[in-house]
Amino acid sequence: MLDKAIDLAGWLVVLFILGPLVIIVGGSFTETPYVAFPPTGFTLRWYAQLMHRRDFLNSFVFSLALAALCSLVAMLLGVAAVIGLHRHGFTGRQVFRAFLMSPLVLPTIVTGVALLQFYYLIDMDAPVTGLLVGHVLITIPYVLRTVGAGLVGLDPAIEEAANSLGAGGLRTLLRVTLPAIAPSIMAAVIFVFITSFDQATVSIFLSGPDMMPLPVRIYSYIDFAVDPMVAAVSTLLILFAFGIIALLQKLLGLERAMGVG
Amino acid sequence: MSTAVISRRGMELLLYLAPVTLFYVVFLILPYLMVLRLSFFQFSPMHLYIPEFTWANYAAVLTDRFYLGLLARTIGLGLLVTLVSLMLGYPLALKISRAGPAMKSVLLAITLSPLLINLVVRTYAWLVLLGDTGVVNHWLQALGVTAGPLPLGGNMFSVIVGLVHICLPLMALSLVGVLERIDPALFDAAESLGASRGRVLRRIVLPLSMPGIGAGSLLVFSFTISAFVTPALLGGNRVTTISTLIYEKFTFSSNWPVGATLVVFLLVINIAVVILHGRLFRED
Repeated sequence: MLDKAIDLAGWLVVLFILGPLVIIVGGSFTETPYVAFPPTGFTLRWYAQLMHRRDFLNSFVFSLALAALCSLVAMLLGVAAVIGLHRHGFTGRQVFRAFLMSPLVLPTIVTGVALLQFYYLIDMDAPVTGLLVGHVLITIPYVLRTVGAGLVGLDPAIEEAANSLGAGGLRTLLRVTLPAIAPSIMAAVIFVFITSFDQATVSIFLSGPDMMPLPVRIYSYIDFAVDPMVAAVSTLLILFAFGIIALLQKLLGLERAMGVG
Repeated sequence: MSTAVISRRGMELLLYLAPVTLFYVVFLILPYLMVLRLSFFQFSPMHLYIPEFTWANYAAVLTDRFYLGLLARTIGLGLLVTLVSLMLGYPLALKISRAGPAMKSVLLAITLSPLLINLVVRTYAWLVLLGDTGVVNHWLQALGVTAGPLPLGGNMFSVIVGLVHICLPLMALSLVGVLERIDPALFDAAESLGASRGRVLRRIVLPLSMPGIGAGSLLVFSFTISAFVTPALLGGNRVTTISTLIYEKFTFSSNWPVGATLVVFLLVINIAVVILHGRLFRED
């Protein structure tokens, strides 16, 4: 009896999680000028309309470029930090690591506001750089966590062997350490990319009308219209997310990638 | 010889850690310190602020009924969302932890998938569902449950629903983590001693999952009180939280000193949660 109740409750919660997403995907094909579920008729006109929106297309391309650039910078800074922390013991290492992880626990809205007033007060007029900095700041912790976990699993004897065979520090790094942790580096790149691509809060504070990442574009569009075109762009983003999940699953196994089990 | 080795190691360490440290000092510490400084400056409608030290902003926030109400409402929202997420997350987590391997993968994927879907998209979904002419109201009227539309959107209710939807995966994951670690032999022992399923749940499973409940709750609470996009969109300009007011102070009304003071309050609450988290669950 109790087990049945728990089972049923579990299914209802699954429905609660998936329901809205299913309705958005279904509603994007409706012929009505509002999102209806089940959709009335079937049309691709909202997707066609989306393809004619220069602003949305520009934002999509901009978001992709920003996420790619963010991945590059966050990986360079983050992987160097992880290796430094891994190879060298020093006093206060744990504190330093916690400091590097701090953007993860600091509210994103505060990071956004802090950077906004900082750029204004130092008179920095470089919107793309400003946005990039915000994204790099909140994604570095993901690099530390994911790549850090890969390094912990690495047998130190392998690096020692390379060293004793005469490979220098740099050579060991490039030929032994980095290849050995390649899967976690790949996973970190994907995490950083998607976190940057999806980031809305920090971007809302740091982007202007010309350089608007996609989530901010959707956010400001929703403010005055909730038509099925947004359902269409949402559907594409959901497909994108499932593509990423499949990729992660393939690379690492989902449970390990998300840090469960 | 040995000093040369040490300094070489020191050089290498510097090479690895200096870039990230510099980045953090310039773009994290400095901006945060500047916000803190701003909260002690006077507001000026002409110049954004006047750089003269004052406690006035703190006094205003701590004595004005409006700001006190705002703090109470935000914390209340955090508690409520945490409670509902826990009540929904627990049966889901139990179901996941009891499922066979194939079912478990499917359920985990379903639970995790929202984490990878854009926050704005997830919020938009509830905007579509809960509006006056939204999907839920449409169905309620079509099925004859209600005569007119229920006020589901643009209020505290829709904000809570949206936030719970976003927080559920975080809560469920924390719970699955602890539930999986409970030794199944305990259940067999309890049952062979005559305990009912309900009693096993109350006396064994629930107490043993307290660390997960605590960790998940703190995570959801701090996420909720800092959330901006969801209350801003689903609250329909009628629900103000600390975050939405911070946005308002830094954009439309341009009262940066008071905005900065609210930032400090939000940070203090969050840091308290982090410290509590660290005390309760020491990471090694």
